[in-house]
Amino acid sequence: MDRRNFLRTCSSFLAGGVALATGGLLATKAKGKEGDVFWQIDPYKCTQCGRCETDCVLTVSAVKCFHANRVCGYCDLCGGYYRPNVKELNTAAENMMCPTGAITREFVEEPYFEYTINEELCTGCGKCVKGCTSFGNGSLFLQIDQDICQQCNECAIAKVCPSDAIQRVSNDNAYKLKDHA
Amino acid sequence: MNDKRIKWITIGVIAFYTCLLIGWHLYDPSSSFDVLKPGADHRPAGHARKADEVLIGEFFMQDSTVSASSLMGEWPCFRGAGHNNQASTSPNMKWIDGDFKEMWSIETGEGHAAPVISEGRVYVLDYDEQLSSDALRCLDLKTGKQLWKRWYRVAMKRNHGFSRTIPVISNGLVVTIGPEGHVMCCDKVTGQMKWSIDMKKRFGSEIPFWYTGQCPLIHNDILVLAPAGTDTLMLGVDIKTGKTLWGTPNSVHFKMSHSSVMPMTLGGVQTYVYIGVGGVCGVSAETGNCGNLLWSANEWQPSVVAPSPLQISQNQIFLVAGYGAGGALLQVDKTGTSWKATVKDSYKANEGMSCEQQTPINYKGTLITVLPKDGGGMRERLAMYSPNDLHHPIWTSAADERFGLGPYIVIGDRLVAFKEDGELYVYQLFANSMKLIRKQRVMEEGVDAWGPMAYADGMLIVRDAKTIKCLKILTEE
Repeated sequence: MDRRNFLRTCSSFLAGGVALATGGLLATKAKGKEGDVFWQIDPYKCTQCGRCETDCVLTVSAVKCFHANRVCGYCDLCGGYYRPNVKELNTAAENMMCPTGAITREFVEEPYFEYTINEELCTGCGKCVKGCTSFGNGSLFLQIDQDICQQCNECAIAKVCPSDAIQRVSNDNAYKLKDHA
Repeated sequence: MNDKRIKWITIGVIAFYTCLLIGWHLYDPSSSFDVLKPGADHRPAGHARKADEVLIGEFFMQDSTVSASSLMGEWPCFRGAGHNNQASTSPNMKWIDGDFKEMWSIETGEGHAAPVISEGRVYVLDYDEQLSSDALRCLDLKTGKQLWKRWYRVAMKRNHGFSRTIPVISNGLVVTIGPEGHVMCCDKVTGQMKWSIDMKKRFGSEIPFWYTGQCPLIHNDILVLAPAGTDTLMLGVDIKTGKTLWGTPNSVHFKMSHSSVMPMTLGGVQTYVYIGVGGVCGVSAETGNCGNLLWSANEWQPSVVAPSPLQISQNQIFLVAGYGAGGALLQVDKTGTSWKATVKDSYKANEGMSCEQQTPINYKGTLITVLPKDGGGMRERLAMYSPNDLHHPIWTSAADERFGLGPYIVIGDRLVAFKEDGELYVYQLFANSMKLIRKQRVMEEGVDAWGPMAYADGMLIVRDAKTIKCLKILTEE
C-alpha cells in the first residue's frame, strides 16, 4: 500500500468511527433521558411555606411560579397579584404581592385581566400562590423548572419540605400542571 | 528603573484608579430597571378603580364537585322563621345522649356573623380578611363543604372583628347586609347576583361604631330595611327586582343602630318596630298603608343599641340595650286613628331585666335573658322574668353559670345557651324555672362566641370569633 492509500484508508476509518461514536452517544443520551427521573412539586400538596426560595442549592431557586390560564378567573381583584389591604387597585409597586415584579397583567375586557409570569424574575417564594390558593381559583402554583434544576441526587428543598410535596417523577410527568388532565 | 519611568507609572496608576472611581460614581445601575407604576396593565382610561369603590357581589366562585344535602329544615333569618328565636322539634326527633358530635368545622374571618339554613344549605356573610371582602358563603349543611361563594371588596379596619349580620332567605333568594351597609341579593341555589343597594351612598346612612348589626327582614315578600339615613328612616324593597316599594321619611331624625327591624302585631295592626339611635318607632306593615310612621318615642334613647325590640303583650314592647342603658317597657296605645307610645318603666341594668347584646326570648309568656356585665351580683347569668315584674327574676342560673355576651336559643322544650368562651349548656325549660341537663366544651379556648345560633334538621350551628361548628344534637328515633 502506498502512502497515499494508507492515509485515505486511515481517514475513512477515523471518519466512520467519529460518526459511529457520535450516533451512539446521541442514542445513549436519548435512551437515558427517557429513563431519567426528575424532582417535581405536587401543587396539591404544596403549602407555600417559602422554603423553595431559600433552600435550593442554586442562588436563584429552580422553583418557579406557573400559571394555569384555564383555571384562572381573570379577576381584577386577584389575591395573587395584590397585597392584602392595598390602598389602590393599580399596578404601582407598593400594591404588588410579588416582591420581584414577576407577575404582570394585561387588560382583556371589563373586568377581566390576563396574568403572566416572568420566570426570569420569579424566585419561587410562593407568596402569589398562597394568595391565589386561599382566595382565588388556585391557578398559580409552584413547579421546578427542569431546564434550570441541577437534578441533585438529594434535593435540598425536598429534604426540608414540610408537606412532602417534592417527589421524584418520570420523564413523562416532569411537570404536574393544573390545566392538564 | 529610572525616576522618570517610575513617575509616569505612578501617574498612570493614579489616573487609572481615579477614572475607575469617577466612573463607578457616575454609572447608574438603575437605568436598566423597570419602574412599576400605575397603568402598566393598560386598563382603559375612565375605568380606574379606587380601593374604596365597592362593586357589590363582584366576584363569584362555585365548586361543582360539592352538592347540597337533601335536608329540608329551615332557619331562614335572624331569630328564625317565627322571629322569636325558638325552633320546634318534630315528634320523631330525640336529643342525643352523651356528647354532641361535631359534624364539621370551618375557619372564618374574625367576626360574629351567624348563619341561616335552608334546604340543606348554610349561608353566612363572612369577612375575608386577606383581601378585605364581604363574602357570602354557601355551605352544605351535612359536610360544611363550600358550594359557592360570592364576594366583594370592602376595605375595613378590624373593630371587634368585622362581620356582624345574619342573612335572610325567602322566595329562592338570599339577602345580606354587610358591615358597611351593603345590601346584596342572590339566588340561593346558584348564587347568581340579582341586585344590590349601598345604603350609605343611596340614603346617607351613618354606619354605627362597630359596623352595621342590622339583619335584613323579609315580611310579606317585601324586604324591610332601616337605613335611618338623611331622608329615609325605613323602606320596603321588592325582593325580586330591588326596587323601592315604599319609604318612610326620617322625620324623627333617627340614626342607624345595631338593632334590627322586628315585625309585630300591636293593637291588631301589623307593625315594623325599630330602635334607632334617637328613639324607637313603629311603621305600618299593613297592605295599603305600608311605610306610614304610626308612632315614635324618644324618652328612651341609648347611644348604642344591639338587641332588637321584644313584644311581650298585645301593646307592650320590651326595650333593652347594653353599656349601662338597662331596660325599658314601652306601651303603645291606639285611639281611633291616633297612636301614642309611652315609656312606662325605665331602669338601669342592675335594677331589672336587661341584656347587652342578644335579644331576650319570650317563651310561653316568660322572658329569658342573660344579664349584662353591669347587671350587679347576677351579672352574666341566665335569668327568667315574668312580664308583670321586670325587676325581680323568677329564676337565675347558678353562680358559676355565666355566659358573658354569648347567645341562647330555645329548641323544643329546652334552652341552649352558649358561653362566650365556647361551652354549650342545655337546660330543661319549665314554667318558672330551668334545670341544667348537661354542658359540653365545644370550642377549645373559644373567643368571643357572640354570634347567634341556628338550628335545623337536628343540627345546631355555633360560632366564636374565628370558627363555625356544626353539632348534631337531635337524631331520629
